[in-house]
Amino acid sequence: MNHPRAARPNGFDRRTLLRAGGVSLLGGAVLSACAADFGGDTAPGRVGLADEGTPLPDGIVDDVVLMRTMQSLEHTVVAGLTAMADGGMFSAAQSTYIDRFISDHVAASGALGAIIEAGGGEQFACPNEWVMTRYIEPILAAVQGTDDEMRDVRAISHALETMLAHSYQHVVGLLDAPAHRRAAMVQGAAASRRSATLAVQSSAALHGYVGPELAGTPERTSDGFPIPYAVPSTFGRVDQIELVVGAVDDEGSRFSTLLQTPAENTFVYAYQSC
Amino acid sequence: MNDAPRGTENLDEATGARDRRAMLVAGLAGAVVAIAGASKVTAAENDFTAAELDILRFAQRLELTARDLYDAAMAAGATGAIWEAMSEQHEAYAQSIAGLTGLSADSRNDEVFDALVGAFSSSGAAEAAYDLESAAAATHIEVLGLLNHRPASELIASIISAESRHCVVLADLTGRGTDLTSLLVNNAQPILPA
Repeated sequence: MNHPRAARPNGFDRRTLLRAGGVSLLGGAVLSACAADFGGDTAPGRVGLADEGTPLPDGIVDDVVLMRTMQSLEHTVVAGLTAMADGGMFSAAQSTYIDRFISDHVAASGALGAIIEAGGGEQFACPNEWVMTRYIEPILAAVQGTDDEMRDVRAISHALETMLAHSYQHVVGLLDAPAHRRAAMVQGAAASRRSATLAVQSSAALHGYVGPELAGTPERTSDGFPIPYAVPSTFGRVDQIELVVGAVDDEGSRFSTLLQTPAENTFVYAYQSC
Repeated sequence: MNDAPRGTENLDEATGARDRRAMLVAGLAGAVVAIAGASKVTAAENDFTAAELDILRFAQRLELTARDLYDAAMAAGATGAIWEAMSEQHEAYAQSIAGLTGLSADSRNDEVFDALVGAFSSSGAAEAAYDLESAAAATHIEVLGLLNHRPASELIASIISAESRHCVVLADLTGRGTDLTSLLVNNAQPILPA
């Protein structure tokens, strides 16, 4: 009579295999942890032969850096206004203002420069490269071939002066020394007056002095351009400034950008020079 | 008096003024909260010294004086949205200082008020207002140099910006809209505590 035989383990079943594998991994981990440092490069591997990048120095933001930044913004505005003046974009009447503005900006740069040097820093009497490449150059390119050059240069001038006014007020909250805050707002007050002057000349006759937040006046023209107001709000502002310029493109829109107050990517650090 | 450019004359309605005042107070509360929440504030910087409270009290009273002078001008017949807007804004500045410091916005600088109320009640009110705004901005610039308190400095800076803009409007209202010196330069002396 045949009896079926019970299956017998042959010493190499799945359970045994799993157990042996687990023991091997555990042993490997213990040995690795206890292993001596054999030296060698521990950096991530590199592929190819390209030169390694040079790391930037740490940028420390102090009062001198903030004043250097504001000095660079003064020269940035000078560069923008000068480019439009050299291009013959301003009327004779506007040129009177713009020439005065430019000389005021240069004087402001000198005043800031004295503070920078008194603080042990090096002046930065040059345009801010970041702002030039991200804002000024694209804006100036956009007005080439515009349908209304006078409208655009008015708007650009106002936006630049307003950006400067907002920036000075903004850095008051970043500066440490009360004397530096005071010096910043001497220039900030002047920038606010230039901004308000341009707003009055642009739109007071049509829209009044007081902005939409206070008077319910329109924010934009019927063509979609932001309307500048001499008194846009109760308190001074530090927000971004919308600028719309240039001709209508194939998609039915115009070039627009948002000018902003300085931040880490705009600061002129101590290791930068011009 | 050329005091109301087109487009803002409808602001003279009393109901609109009440609404704006309510909006102003609401906006003010937000502004104070935002300033108090500024990122670069340390505990020490949030503590006012006695000297700082004194100077902020002086600035606050100057703002209430300006409000009362604009109100006196309107009571004497000055019309136009800009007068009411100026009055409301100066009250807002005083209240914002109150919100930050806890100093009640309840009294003006009588010495300054008495010196200027005659001019504000005359046909030369806009001229007087230009001079007052210029002096107020100059005063606050000096105040800024006396404050370590960072949020208070930010608030005063925002008032300086706004009052500098007021100067330009008043220069235009007084027929000096093409006078670059009147528009761009603040030659006023600060008002100092007695």
